[in-house]
Amino acid sequence: MKEVVSLPKARDTAIFGSKAVGLGDAARAGLPVPPGVALSGSIVDAVASGEERAIAKVAKSVQRLQVPLAVRSSAVDEDGAEASFAGQHLTLLNVPSAGEVTSALKEIWWSANSDSAITYRQRVGLFTRPSIAVVIQTLLDPDVAGVMFTKNPMSGADERVIEASWGLGEAVVAGLVIPDHFRLDRSGQVLERKAGRKSIAIRSVASGGTVEEAVSAELVERLCLDDGQLADLGRLASRSEEIYGPARDIEWAIAGGTLYLLQCRAVTRAGT
Amino acid sequence: MAGAPLEAVRRVPLFAELDRHEVEQIARLFKERRFSEGETVVREASGGAAFFLIDSGEATVSVGGSERATLKAGDYFGEIALIDEGTRSATITAATELVCYGLTFWDFRPLVQGSGPIGWKLLQSMAKKLRAAEQTEHP
Repeated sequence: MKEVVSLPKARDTAIFGSKAVGLGDAARAGLPVPPGVALSGSIVDAVASGEERAIAKVAKSVQRLQVPLAVRSSAVDEDGAEASFAGQHLTLLNVPSAGEVTSALKEIWWSANSDSAITYRQRVGLFTRPSIAVVIQTLLDPDVAGVMFTKNPMSGADERVIEASWGLGEAVVAGLVIPDHFRLDRSGQVLERKAGRKSIAIRSVASGGTVEEAVSAELVERLCLDDGQLADLGRLASRSEEIYGPARDIEWAIAGGTLYLLQCRAVTRAGT
Repeated sequence: MAGAPLEAVRRVPLFAELDRHEVEQIARLFKERRFSEGETVVREASGGAAFFLIDSGEATVSVGGSERATLKAGDYFGEIALIDEGTRSATITAATELVCYGLTFWDFRPLVQGSGPIGWKLLQSMAKKLRAAEQTEHP
């Protein structure tokens, strides 16, 4: 089905992929998710094929979203293999206008059909036609962002582990900084605060894309989360576990004083 | 019309035996793909599942690190990957901004499997290519 729906209406992983449906679950449960839409794999395919009707439908659906936009793949694959394709399918941060969504969708479609993606598919025995659904959301301009595990992924301890840095969370996810490290117990009590070395921040630029920016000297080793923000994250961890189940891996961002959930998935490397 | 320009598709020897309607069916399956200058389009020895027709721009062909040829608008590469799922025999790099039309194995195979006449004509084209190669090797 060539569908575009608002995130709260994304319910079927076979149509919209697990990332979109995960965000849909969060939106339906009232968690703070940046506004966005989910595109089915078939409409992404139609846009990549240059079908005018599909292009117009997507353009209309994203008009209401505040730009810039983050355009992320949400793979629809055998056995919910989203995690297996991490790094194979493209995410385009900071698409500066609705008019540039079409070319972003083409790039994402081809990322799943690139030689490297095909080689990977052959290697893991998934040599089948990829179906790439997409999530398009308003890109936040966060002050601080990062990841949070609702259970310690290294030790398996029943505690929250938070890694945070200045700017977009990609600096943490891509390992470009030594992030600040925090541990909280389930009640939100802070067990550990360890400042990292956050020499750069990733920021969006007006013309599109992102840039690595030097962080001012006094912020490099200053903790980027205060007690109030840690308490908010502790509450988000509890609420996410209520909705999704235990041991979650959460991407989050704080922009304009509000904490947002960007992604929530099962921890894939839980400890003993 | 979505897809690749009909005339460009007709010039590909693999499709030379097909009639206009059959070429139209194949042309519709192509999707535009853009590459920036310096970007690797396909990499030697990598798996491949797409065939590309160049719409505009130029690309260089290199094998084992040495440059062999330059491709331009109307040129094509990777058509055998449509059939045998094999690895790339050369690296193609965009020498300028490059616009291609790509056809993937996944889109091509169902069309051929569903049409005996198209399959037969492709087989004839492949047989001609094989005979020409044999004559070059053993004149």
